[in-house]
Amino acid sequence: MIRVELRKLILSPRTWVTIALLDALPTLVAILLALTDLGPRPGTGPAFLSAVLSDGSLFPLAAIAIVLPLFLPAAVAVIAGDAIAGEAQGGTLRYLLIRPVGRTRLLVAKLLAVLAFVLLAVLVIAVTAYIVGTLLLGDQPLATSVSGSALSSSQVAWRTALSLCYATFSMLGVAAIALFLSTLSDSPLAAAMGALAFLIASTLLLTLDAANVLQPYLPTRYWLSFVDLFRDPILWRNVVRGTALQGVYVVVFLGAAWANFATKDITS
Amino acid sequence: MIAATGLTKRYGSLCAVDDIDLAVHPGDIYGFLGANGSGKTTTVRMLLGLVLPTSGSIRLFDEAMPKAAHQVLPRVGALVEGPSAYRHLSGHTHLSLLDGMGPGGPRDSRRRRIADVLDQVGLAGVGSRPVKAYSLGMRQRLGLAGALLRSPELLILDEPTNGLDPQGIHEVRDLLLTLNRAGTTVFLSSHLLAEVEQLCTRVGVLDRGRVVLEETMDTLRTPSGRTVVHTPDIGRTLALLGDRAEQYDDVTVTVRAPDPAALNAELVQAGVRVSALAPERRSLEQIVLAATGPSADRVDA
Amino acid sequence: MATIRRWCVVALGVALLVSLPVAISALPARDSEVSAEELLEKAQGSSDLSYSGLIESVGSLRLPISDHFTDVADLFGERTTMRVWWRGDDDWRVNRLSVGGETDLVHDSRGTTTWDYESNHATRTPTFDIRLPQASDLLPPALAQRLLEDAEAAEVNRIPAARVAGIDAPGLRLDPSEAQSSIDHVDLWLDPDSGLPVRVSVFGLSVEAPALTTTFLDVAIARPSESSTAFSPPAGVDSHFADFVDIAAAANEFAPVRPPRTLAGLARRPTTMGAVGVYGRGATLLIALPLWDRAADPLREQLATTPGAAKIPSGMTLAVGPLNLLLTGTAFEDHSWLFVGTVTPATLERATRQVFAHPPSLGHWVVTSGPR
Repeated sequence: MIRVELRKLILSPRTWVTIALLDALPTLVAILLALTDLGPRPGTGPAFLSAVLSDGSLFPLAAIAIVLPLFLPAAVAVIAGDAIAGEAQGGTLRYLLIRPVGRTRLLVAKLLAVLAFVLLAVLVIAVTAYIVGTLLLGDQPLATSVSGSALSSSQVAWRTALSLCYATFSMLGVAAIALFLSTLSDSPLAAAMGALAFLIASTLLLTLDAANVLQPYLPTRYWLSFVDLFRDPILWRNVVRGTALQGVYVVVFLGAAWANFATKDITS
Repeated sequence: MIAATGLTKRYGSLCAVDDIDLAVHPGDIYGFLGANGSGKTTTVRMLLGLVLPTSGSIRLFDEAMPKAAHQVLPRVGALVEGPSAYRHLSGHTHLSLLDGMGPGGPRDSRRRRIADVLDQVGLAGVGSRPVKAYSLGMRQRLGLAGALLRSPELLILDEPTNGLDPQGIHEVRDLLLTLNRAGTTVFLSSHLLAEVEQLCTRVGVLDRGRVVLEETMDTLRTPSGRTVVHTPDIGRTLALLGDRAEQYDDVTVTVRAPDPAALNAELVQAGVRVSALAPERRSLEQIVLAATGPSADRVDA
Repeated sequence: MATIRRWCVVALGVALLVSLPVAISALPARDSEVSAEELLEKAQGSSDLSYSGLIESVGSLRLPISDHFTDVADLFGERTTMRVWWRGDDDWRVNRLSVGGETDLVHDSRGTTTWDYESNHATRTPTFDIRLPQASDLLPPALAQRLLEDAEAAEVNRIPAARVAGIDAPGLRLDPSEAQSSIDHVDLWLDPDSGLPVRVSVFGLSVEAPALTTTFLDVAIARPSESSTAFSPPAGVDSHFADFVDIAAAANEFAPVRPPRTLAGLARRPTTMGAVGVYGRGATLLIALPLWDRAADPLREQLATTPGAAKIPSGMTLAVGPLNLLLTGTAFEDHSWLFVGTVTPATLERATRQVFAHPPSLGHWVVTSGPR
């Protein structure tokens, strides 16, 4: 079943349009950086963006840092929000269910397909960014960790790979929320908007001192912790917590989706 | 094959289906008749496990639904409330994706089975075109193809001829008859009386959530014990038959007479000219109209 | 019915998941029988310990920000996460983490290197007696060392233990005995075996919430490896030497004044011999900082627009939690005095009166080269 979901994903023109749009922003940033040679002031702008001026091969990381806070989760919300509601709206949900497809299995397959989408998107972004970065931006290999120590190119490579995986995994929470909303509503748009609203609320609460108690539970809390993978030695604490938190979100919202969907009357 | 007892579905205070019993036997072409909004689609959805009954039980292939859906549904092909497909894909790809979902569609034979069903429903020439370029009738055929993909023993079809032109309707009818002769049981829900009348061996009539009639077509169509006589000699006929003539107009007399041959002999003997004579059979329309109330769409002031 | 049952299962799971960490952290920490004096002694004797770990400090002191003091304002007013490797007083490294980078202090016997990832800068500075607070002052052991300095047994009590970074740490409360102090009390929690302070909370007078809390999130009480405190500027990095880390160090070196031996009844610390006077003991701290006008004027302007700042005859005052500040008017030819510390506003005014009555000026600003 997951094979079919993946095929649907690959065959859907929307997948590729979304990825192209996601890809456009970092590419635009790279071009602007190359033309102006103006890096962001320290403490502002996305992580790694100042480093790419001298070492363009770090641009995949900067590109991920650019899309991670809003673009990527928005795309995930749209794709995951469409998972069930889109099938319902298109009328194909009833045909899937009478094949029969187990409803719980369908939810899991949909979530995995969204994960596959994120992985695909992240890979495309990273590869494009690497090409654009090495062509347009600095070519002095810096290979410096955030802590100022030297990194070998193999270290850079596997830490980058790990960061991409972490960024992908970080999207699971949003995906699960959107998937849950997708089982509530027959409108993919409503589900995506709902997940986005949740996301924006989470981002807002993170900036609020009064919400300190809530912060460890917010899905966006550990998103940017992939930077910790480039400290020396690697600071695993937040990466591990971020991964666990996404797991919790998947359990909770997939559970909620299951509770709502398993015996829902399909009238679409 | 299908046995529903006491099936009820309530949406809040609205009772869409109210305590109905259905029995579809192997080999039947079962016509499930009902006006719009009479609960047909809800019943079909309940049979397929899409909607859960408020109370009552359903057995398909003698197994409880929706509990045994996983064993039962691969043996069922269905068309529910119009076809739908992934619009951006070709008909062929759509069927291939559909077949890949869920059990019962072996991968090694998929290509051949898809080619077969596309051929069966008459879409062999457009299987590679995207679905969004299909006409309404082509989509209906594609939906039918999807239902046939796994050579099901039971077909549950909701308005299968919707959107088809007269030739298309005829083709589908032939297809269903062929399939039925080969052993497929067909459950056909429709509001088109003519379609059911030409095709079905049994009918159930649903009116406002209740089954008001469930009978074999043969029983429904047995002669009513009256004979309709067409004659230019109305006066003489009436005089001859006395109160046996129950109804008459300018050219026909309806006579209470179970044997048309005997009646014919009697009339001819008496010198009455008979231009036509036949046992009276009620049309399905008459039967349904007699059994049901006004249309559910109708809203009187 | 089935739907309701499933929702119950999900609700139960959510409740469990959410309450589990709360419940674990609410489990009471194992306390020990150790007395306050013993604990104090242990803490005061822990200065030679080596350790490493992750630290979070949360300050609620919103300082008015002036160019020269931005770092200080961040340290005392925000949440700061630090990684530390402490091999000894002259061999340590403190990495102050930010979302997209970090600012590291790497210290050895000859000086301190500051590495800033985002600006790709490494700066080497010598060690000064007097400087503005920096990240390394907020490590629980360093802060506790300062606060407990010369603390007497009569000033400390036991408080319940707390679990800090997995350690069941017995608690100690310090109530400073000086009347001048604006610190109500300081709560400390120590590793029961080594005496290493693992959490320190500082409370101002009549305020419920701590003004500053610094705590280990992870700690290893063992000597970190030599490589962990090593730093050599990466190739292609801007690297330079600076004579002065900050304005306080510069003032201490060059201001042509010698502050009095006692100020507002507090004795001057013997360790500082420059122009900046440091008075008091432990939690009660008063600093007298001579500022030349180039630094004082912007600060004055800033104070004028800072909510809570007040103009008094002798200058301007500001109270930020237990931290009080008084900037004198330009009564002196080319400089002002900035009095700041964990003392009461009355103490600051007393200090001002004393300085006005006996101006400690010795001559003019001189420029010499700083120590290498």
